Amino acid sequence: MREFATLASPYSMPAAYDGDVDLTDPAEQTQTRALNQFLAGVEVKAFKIAQAALRHEDDALDAVQDAMLQLARAYAKRPAEEWKPLFYRILENRIRDMQRRRTVRGRVMAWLPFRADEEDEEADPIAQAASTEPQPVRRLELDEAMGALEKALEGLPRRQQQAFLLRTLEGLDVAQTAAAMGCSQGSVKTHYFRAVQALRAQLGDLYV
Amino acid sequence: MSLMDESPTQFERNATAVLTEAVLRVDARTRSRLNQARQAALEAAHKRRPLWRLTLMPAAGAVAAALLVTMLLWHRAPETRLPAIEGRADATMDMDLLTDKDAIDLLDGGDGPFYEWAAAQSDTNGESS
Repeated sequence: MREFATLASPYSMPAAYDGDVDLTDPAEQTQTRALNQFLAGVEVKAFKIAQAALRHEDDALDAVQDAMLQLARAYAKRPAEEWKPLFYRILENRIRDMQRRRTVRGRVMAWLPFRADEEDEEADPIAQAASTEPQPVRRLELDEAMGALEKALEGLPRRQQQAFLLRTLEGLDVAQTAAAMGCSQGSVKTHYFRAVQALRAQLGDLYV
Repeated sequence: MSLMDESPTQFERNATAVLTEAVLRVDARTRSRLNQARQAALEAAHKRRPLWRLTLMPAAGAVAAALLVTMLLWHRAPETRLPAIEGRADATMDMDLLTDKDAIDLLDGGDGPFYEWAAAQSDTNGESS
């Protein structure tokens, strides 16, 4: 149809260039809108999960970006109900790749006499300003609780950390968490149970 | 203690509240970067590679590699073969001189001592250098 239109009039503009998806297609528009909405809903939580695992803001952003890209490229046509477990599965794989690469890089860098310190970048206080402003006392309590929880989470084994965050932060059920983690539902329950036990033992009264 | 499919305990509810607060506190710069990453992902999803590119690219790479090898061989060939051709040309010229009747007549003429002197000079120069 496109070829016919082009032959009929050399000045007519094709609906989409070669290799692009026809954005005038209503189905495509609906899908793009739904995907945008989905990604907007998970991106900040995904960033926090990646940050807890990687402990580095830029790496966490890269991991989330890669996961979004892969989901949009490879799984956009899948039913929207499958997006969340798929997205977190992709993110988890990406986090694992980055952790492996970081381990190798650490071994190589240990042999070098000079290395750039990535943590030296000066933080921009305006850019890093919090987006919400709770009351000072409440804020202080939350700061304390948040700091303690983040520290305790860092000490957890990766699978326990993942099960706990997918459940408590993202709200996935057992089946979705199992799909995201690539393991059985029984394993998910075990990881989650141990995570809660360990966190409770460390945080104690702060959270009870 | 909750096993995920049961109702959450107070501890889990508190943890959820704290984590949700942490999400809300993510700074504007990070949110902006996440937004940009999302737009880039959606844009990239629309620019899928056409099938002909995927099938033709390996073939194009093979042709380019073959051309490169041919060019390398082409440029290397004269370096090894030219001296042999030149030597062969010199030998042909020598043979022409020896078989040429006029050239022998020249040697038989009065220039014989001159050629002997020139040859001696050439040998002397070769030894001194």
